[in-house]
Amino acid sequence: MHELRRDLGKTLSRRALLQGTGAGIGAAALAHLFGDKERGPHHTPHARNVIYLHMIGAPSHLDLFDYKPELQKREGRKCPDEFFVGKQLAFIRTHPRLLGSPKTAPFRFRRCGESGMEISNLLPHLQTCVDDIALLRTIRSDEFNHGPAQMFLQTGFGRFGRPSLGAWSSYGLGSPNQDLPAFVAMVTGTYPGAGNSAFGSGFLPSVHQGVEFRSKGDPVLFLSDPKGIDRGTRRRMVDSVKQLNGLHFDDVGDPEIATRVDQYELAYRMQASVPELMDISQESAEVHALYGTQPGRTSFANNCLLARRLVERGVRFVQLFDQGWDHHGSVFSQLPGKCRQVDRPIAALLTDLKRLGLLDDTLVVWASEFGRTPMAQTNNGEGLDTKAGRDHHTEAYSVWLAGGGVKGGTVVGATDELGYAAAEDPLHVHDLNATILHLLGLDHERLTFRYQGRDFRLTDVHGKVVRAALA
Amino acid sequence: MSTRPATHRFVRAIACLVLATAATAQSSGHGSDQKHWAYRKPTRPSTPHVNAAHWPQNPIDAFVLEKLEANGMAPSARAERARLLRRVHLDLTGLPPSIEDVDAFLRDDSEGAWQKVADGLLASPRFGEHWARQWLDLARYADSNGFQADQLRDSWAYRDWVIDALNADMPFDRFTIEQIAGDLLPDATLAQRIATGFHRNVTCNVEAGVDPEANRVNQVFDRVNTTATVWLGTTMECAQCHDHKYDPFSQSDYFRLFAFLNNTPIEVKNGQGVRFDFYGPKLELPLASAEREQLAALHTELAEVEARQKSELTNVAEEQLRWEHKMLALLAAENPWHALDVAAFASTGDENHTVLPDKSVLIGGRLPGTATYTVETIAPFEGITAFRIETLTHPSLPGTGPGRGDDKRPNFILSEFTVHAHDGNGQEATRVDLHSAQADYSQRGWHVKNAIDGKQNKGWAIGGGFFKDHYATFQTRTTIGNKSDTRLTFTIDQNYGRGRTIGRFRLSAYTGDPALLALPKQIARILQQEKRGAKAEDRLREYFRNNHPAAVRLTRQVADLKQRVQAIQPATALVMVEEQQPRATHVMQRGDYLQPGARVTAGTPTTLHAFREDWPKNRLGLARWIASPDNPLIARVTANRWWSHIFGRGLVTTEEDFGLRSEAPSHARLLDWLAVEFVESGWSMKHVLRLIVTSATYQQSARRQGAETVDDDNTLLARGPRFRMSAEMIRDNALSIAGLLSLKTSGEPVFPPQPAGLWRQTGRNEPKYVVATNEDRFRRGIYVVWRRAAPYPSFVLFDGPDRSSCHPSRSRTNTPMQALTLMNDDAYVEAALGLALRVVRQSGMSTAARIEHAFRLALARRPTTVEREHLRTVFHRERQRLAADAKRAAMLVDSVKGIRVANHIDRVDAATWFLIATILLNLDETISK
Repeated sequence: MHELRRDLGKTLSRRALLQGTGAGIGAAALAHLFGDKERGPHHTPHARNVIYLHMIGAPSHLDLFDYKPELQKREGRKCPDEFFVGKQLAFIRTHPRLLGSPKTAPFRFRRCGESGMEISNLLPHLQTCVDDIALLRTIRSDEFNHGPAQMFLQTGFGRFGRPSLGAWSSYGLGSPNQDLPAFVAMVTGTYPGAGNSAFGSGFLPSVHQGVEFRSKGDPVLFLSDPKGIDRGTRRRMVDSVKQLNGLHFDDVGDPEIATRVDQYELAYRMQASVPELMDISQESAEVHALYGTQPGRTSFANNCLLARRLVERGVRFVQLFDQGWDHHGSVFSQLPGKCRQVDRPIAALLTDLKRLGLLDDTLVVWASEFGRTPMAQTNNGEGLDTKAGRDHHTEAYSVWLAGGGVKGGTVVGATDELGYAAAEDPLHVHDLNATILHLLGLDHERLTFRYQGRDFRLTDVHGKVVRAALA
Repeated sequence: MSTRPATHRFVRAIACLVLATAATAQSSGHGSDQKHWAYRKPTRPSTPHVNAAHWPQNPIDAFVLEKLEANGMAPSARAERARLLRRVHLDLTGLPPSIEDVDAFLRDDSEGAWQKVADGLLASPRFGEHWARQWLDLARYADSNGFQADQLRDSWAYRDWVIDALNADMPFDRFTIEQIAGDLLPDATLAQRIATGFHRNVTCNVEAGVDPEANRVNQVFDRVNTTATVWLGTTMECAQCHDHKYDPFSQSDYFRLFAFLNNTPIEVKNGQGVRFDFYGPKLELPLASAEREQLAALHTELAEVEARQKSELTNVAEEQLRWEHKMLALLAAENPWHALDVAAFASTGDENHTVLPDKSVLIGGRLPGTATYTVETIAPFEGITAFRIETLTHPSLPGTGPGRGDDKRPNFILSEFTVHAHDGNGQEATRVDLHSAQADYSQRGWHVKNAIDGKQNKGWAIGGGFFKDHYATFQTRTTIGNKSDTRLTFTIDQNYGRGRTIGRFRLSAYTGDPALLALPKQIARILQQEKRGAKAEDRLREYFRNNHPAAVRLTRQVADLKQRVQAIQPATALVMVEEQQPRATHVMQRGDYLQPGARVTAGTPTTLHAFREDWPKNRLGLARWIASPDNPLIARVTANRWWSHIFGRGLVTTEEDFGLRSEAPSHARLLDWLAVEFVESGWSMKHVLRLIVTSATYQQSARRQGAETVDDDNTLLARGPRFRMSAEMIRDNALSIAGLLSLKTSGEPVFPPQPAGLWRQTGRNEPKYVVATNEDRFRRGIYVVWRRAAPYPSFVLFDGPDRSSCHPSRSRTNTPMQALTLMNDDAYVEAALGLALRVVRQSGMSTAARIEHAFRLALARRPTTVEREHLRTVFHRERQRLAADAKRAAMLVDSVKGIRVANHIDRVDAATWFLIATILLNLDETISK
């Protein structure tokens, strides 16, 4: 970046500055707005963009992706001692009983697609997409409380202060789009417990932090002009600021001023491009039917469609957070409703990306901070089976990948017969993150940032690329 | 879950080891002679000789000039005076100079003029408010816990302590000792204990199901790491899991430091079940004088009311005697309750029913979700004043009832109870108006009054009182009934669903005095006792008083006053206290507290200076060790940080790391000179800052010398500093230019405008963001509430950290979101209107003069002719447009939230100036120093 600034300092004149909007100097300066041009992939990327679906609260993977007939068979029996004795569990305090998925039709698992991947009837739309999915069934986390585990999943570290995966991607690859941020986050429901840290930039320059696009109020903070400032007035104000900044640049010669001028141009363009982007009403009725979207509503479905629109426009990393999966109680009455909210839109997203030819370039990740126990958590001691839930579970849980560079129809890893721990091919959050970076063309061991005398990595000193999931 | 990923942690150790080999090879061992420069105590270097001997104002300049001359460069000319004055105002106080300040300085050509300005600014209370920001980033100060829910906590007293200490130029060694161990100083003062809030600023996880001990250990890790970063410029974190591979610190060094900080109480407490609460030592702060006065006034009033209450109670006692006689007479009369004969029963639920000999109705058979019972009764009584429904148990009912449906929870919900009366002449039935519902028992949230509120969605229920008989009574507004053939129809709606209906009930009419109805059975019994014990007398008196309006009023007044006294609680501060019994500290294998290794005792790394024998082996000893003049790091690290704050770049650019992998200092001898000067001045921060701002180096113009400049980063300091201000400064500066800034100091955090919907975390007790509508809206950024999960948005967009961990330096980005913020954030829109009105109010000024005035408010300097002409053209052009569209002008001015514009002010005028002000506030120069 210093090189670039120096060049600017040498060559800029006011005339060049003022003519530079969107081209020439403008474009050069823009290169380091949302990420640096000089960094780039370490190897040929398999995917250019990522859409990361983070189910906040941790869905019950055992009832969705990891069918355990033995668990159903032993339903109601005390769990083996080694599941409980000496373990740290978030909520369960007395020796729990095993809890299988209900045997009723809505909860049954079905072998789907050509691959025959087994997933639950709770996700009927996703069942049609299994041949695009690589399912990792043995991911393990080091943290068992939500906030720390969300940070661990996204930043590779259970405490505050580290950059998130999206920030690392922006830092490593920059942004292909000059009009939009490299990293966009959207939230349905309340924010994750980790707060902005779940999409923060940690010690990386804050230009890499995820910019939240919102469905209520301004889609990007402070995007709308005050009442009474029309588009023409704003244009003239920006021109005037540019004029005066140009004069000052002539005087002091600081290239940051040139960059600032371009930021105002970009801001002005974003005032038009972002509302256009966020306005899904122009999409066809067929698309709305596919996703189950309704313009003007706040919903996960709308965010899925927006994610597609963002990726179409070259946004590097889109992260959707969806709150409401923390089913400590009544898991079997709560889960179907949550699944209905996300199943159709996620399948629609995969279908839509595929038919637009974008799925080859786009990696879709479905994950959560951890999974849920095969043991029942009984709600406040009332003891009615219908109210049982599942506690936080870090030993092994399911995550899936689809799209660019992913080998569809694959299942990696297997848990034991009760779904407690990995029985084959144990995987770890660091392995997942190494794989995601790999698909983006980044070597997780070489993507580093020097801070406090140490070269930090997303994967700390761990992580192996999950080759079995790669095409 | 206790089976930790041992393999992963182990791999970490190996991998660090591999990486380290190269680094150790580079650094030349740790022998005393060849010790890394930063671990050797600095000595004062001699001031170098320079060719341009007239230039240096103090030794700083000699060191800088020496380097410049060696590189064949010359320093820049002094900056223009107005720009220079703005620079030093912003650097020392974070606020711009007023036009009067500028004029006074321009007029003062005395020799000491510059010194005088510096001294004045260093003495300003604004100094501490500005410089505290940098320290609070290091201290990871925030007003919330962090993590899920991210509740607010009272930590602002610590923030005020920092501001006060900086304003008082508290010697930095004392500043250090009080923050690490103020509580352990002999006869610790209140302020010294508040200072220990430094280490209570750590995040705290109170998420349900958290492990308090894990949380505590993480907090101590944070304290060790932060202490090392702040005062030693050293990254200790690496040594948490294994020996540090770059710097000479072993894992046992780490845990020996850890032992110093391992003796404070746990800070998360298990509440009910898996609920956890923020906990730990708090200190009550003295009340402010206004509160003390308020408290005294309340006490006086309380004494008066209590005296009045005492005399009133004598009267009440007499009334009580008369009442007792009346009640006894009523009680002696015959039983006024008459169970009613059931003439007909119908239900919408199609159940079976049986009328039992005691006139109660027993329901059986089908269990509908909801049901309405209609009961016709004959009531040959005069003077009915109330009705009663008894809900009774019966062996045939699930769990014996009295409700149906569920043998574990045999509840019922009586949604509505209505009575219609027929006077026997075949006329229309009239609805009986009921009031004063009473029951022997009501479930919480399901009070019996709901049964006559006319609404079907609420009702009377008895959850928690299962398997027992209950009753409810309802009084009539008018007396009803005649002796011959009054017929009454009762409608009993039970619409909750899921079969929560009554299993057995009996209806009765009441013909007695309503006064008796309200009388609880227990009181009636006491009244009728031959000999009452003292307890019974008390109970009776209490009952009477509680139902005596005058007595009740006084009791309420007393309670209310007491509550108000209670409400004036002193504010609290989070502080450190030492446990009586020190914890044993073990090396944690692979940094995991569940895998304790060898036991260690408190001690400091041997690579650094010695720990004196006479220092206690506790936090206070640690503090004295850190603040020792023998510490090779503290003064260098600190002076470097201040240098960076002013020049935009440290002499050592890795501000957070002075270890073996740090960048070499650009001016090593200058750094050492500053460090020694700092310590020998009595650790005076203001002394060092005065030296810096009065140096010729500082006063240079920031103009780049031609396009060929080779020193883009200004490493050699051939020009003055110019860079974008911090987030807080940008806002403070705008508010100050606008004339809106409130200079109110200290106290609870404030809530300036921010867009709605940004505070929505998960979890209990989520705090609400209520935007201030008073002067708090315009207070300095240092007082703005800092919530870790969602810090003030414009601060984040201008590179403010979330303060969840120690943050040694902020990045300085340049983004479109910043442009949007300055154009559209309410705070900046209000500032633009403030500036506009400031200009509009200048009477008798020409437009050109007004433009010049606004320009000088924003930038201190006067505009150039081109700049002035440009703004004049814009002004006239925009004025014309707005005059043609007066409605838009009015909308622009009147929709700004925080400022009401007086009616007499011309909207077109104000709107035009608003646009000019917007331009000025958005200039790169305005947000740069």
